[in-house]
Amino acid sequence: MKRIVKYVLLAIVLCYTLLPIYWMAITSVKPPIEYITRTPALVPKRPTLSHYYKVIVEQHFTRYLINTVTIATGATAISLFVAFLASYALARFRFPHKFDGFFLVWVLLVKMVPPIALAIPLYVMLRSVGLISTRLGMIIVYQVYTLPYCIWMLLGFIRGIPMELEEAATIDGASPLRILRSIVLPLVGPGLVATAIFSIIMGWNEFIYALLFLRTPDAFTLPIHIANYITEYETLWGPLMSIGLMASFPVLILSGFLQKRLMRGFAMVLK
Amino acid sequence: MVIANRLSRLQDTLSQEKYFRFIFLAPALVIVVLLTIYPIISIVYTSLHQYHYIQGTENYVGFKNFIRLVNDKFFLISIRNTFEFAVLSTFSELLAGLGLALLFKDRFFGRKYLLPIVIMPMLLSTMVVCATWRILYDYNYGLINYIIRTLGLGEVGWLINKSIVMESIVLIEIWQWAPLSFLILLAGLQSIPDELYEAARIDGAAGIRILWHITLPLLKSQVLLVVLLRSIDTFKLFDKVYALTGGGPGNATETISYYIYREGFTYFNLGRASAASVIMLLIVVAISAIYISFTLRGQTS
Repeated sequence: MKRIVKYVLLAIVLCYTLLPIYWMAITSVKPPIEYITRTPALVPKRPTLSHYYKVIVEQHFTRYLINTVTIATGATAISLFVAFLASYALARFRFPHKFDGFFLVWVLLVKMVPPIALAIPLYVMLRSVGLISTRLGMIIVYQVYTLPYCIWMLLGFIRGIPMELEEAATIDGASPLRILRSIVLPLVGPGLVATAIFSIIMGWNEFIYALLFLRTPDAFTLPIHIANYITEYETLWGPLMSIGLMASFPVLILSGFLQKRLMRGFAMVLK
Repeated sequence: MVIANRLSRLQDTLSQEKYFRFIFLAPALVIVVLLTIYPIISIVYTSLHQYHYIQGTENYVGFKNFIRLVNDKFFLISIRNTFEFAVLSTFSELLAGLGLALLFKDRFFGRKYLLPIVIMPMLLSTMVVCATWRILYDYNYGLINYIIRTLGLGEVGWLINKSIVMESIVLIEIWQWAPLSFLILLAGLQSIPDELYEAARIDGAAGIRILWHITLPLLKSQVLLVVLLRSIDTFKLFDKVYALTGGGPGNATETISYYIYREGFTYFNLGRASAASVIMLLIVVAISAIYISFTLRGQTS
């Protein structure tokens, strides 16, 4: 009896979770006449790929895709490099006046700051150096999100490495840079990959700064493209859903690599 | 001799440490100062000034922007809406996450495959989520109203009815973020040793009482974490409002973030938008401080 209740509850959960995703998938292959109707069918009668064709060939899906990939990976690359150095210093060296502690707390607080609250000064800064509507500008601004995240993640991984290896290398006369490259980097490799993937997902999905700082259509990312579709075209649902699905695939595939690390990854972000 | 040699090298490196620690930290420090500390100082400065675009001047006006703000009916409405959304979403996500975690606590057939599916919504871009729910919620052609019609009930104006639009957005928020609360609480549940449950059962305690007297007290820190993370995140609500309602109908879904966006980036009312940002930052600091005092109290007792 208890078991039946459990499976019924699981079925309800599964329906609630999957129905919107299923609906997105089938709407993307329905001809308009099958979704602009008061009696939409659960299975498309005449499935079509015309929306995908229209979105990829006639519109600029690939351009937005390239923008999104460039910005998300660029921001992640910079954050990883900077955070790797910083978290090594924070994990291994002592700083005067508890400076390291203050720095880490500040970085944690930054994650709580509402992005809109910093938007005006960041806009003014980007404009003064001519980086509004550029990928480089977005890569820099996204450090607000990705850098604190990478620092805290990598700090955990580096603290997990036994110190003896580095001490031995130091006694043998290796410089800190050499130690970082030949000992620490290989040991935190898997951690770096996991951190990179989460950071890319973060940049991939970001909306508010992209909306405010990308003012020309050439520079739009996928979330902005989708937002324009929702707000400007009332019922072009087929193309909209096909864009949504295609924009989600990379993220879902990336996170598939992380199945096992997912729990740990989130636990680390949250601590 | 060799040892002495090595020791002197060690001392060399230790003195090197002094330089390297700051060289390593410097890039991160520069980025953090430039992108967070400077902007915060800058909005405090802006919030105390009045800008005139046509003349291109700025005047110091003290707290005038703040005084105007607290007398602005729309700003007060946006604060109320933001809190309503944050409280409703946080607690619903907490409950949903707890329910899910209890369902997934023990092994069952198919658990391995269900887990990644249940947490999928959390990985999607908020805009994709909005797009999907926008068509589900559509008054005429949406799936949800179609189901309601088939059941013989009246249609619901999910995104156009003033009195339920907030709850509609909360439902989307639960769909997207209950998985996070689920993951955190599940990790907590799995760290509770089985012996405790067995002992309770031997003592004659049953379902709800075990949950209330054993499980929940032991989950306290995870529950607090969910409440902190989700209340801070829901407090920022902007994307869904922008894409689905534009703050409407009326002002029913106007949040503080949306208010700042409109004042700053549509009306170019920089002083007022900055003053609202300062107030928003103060509220976030207050929420975090309450959380920290809670966790500290938990640790000492």
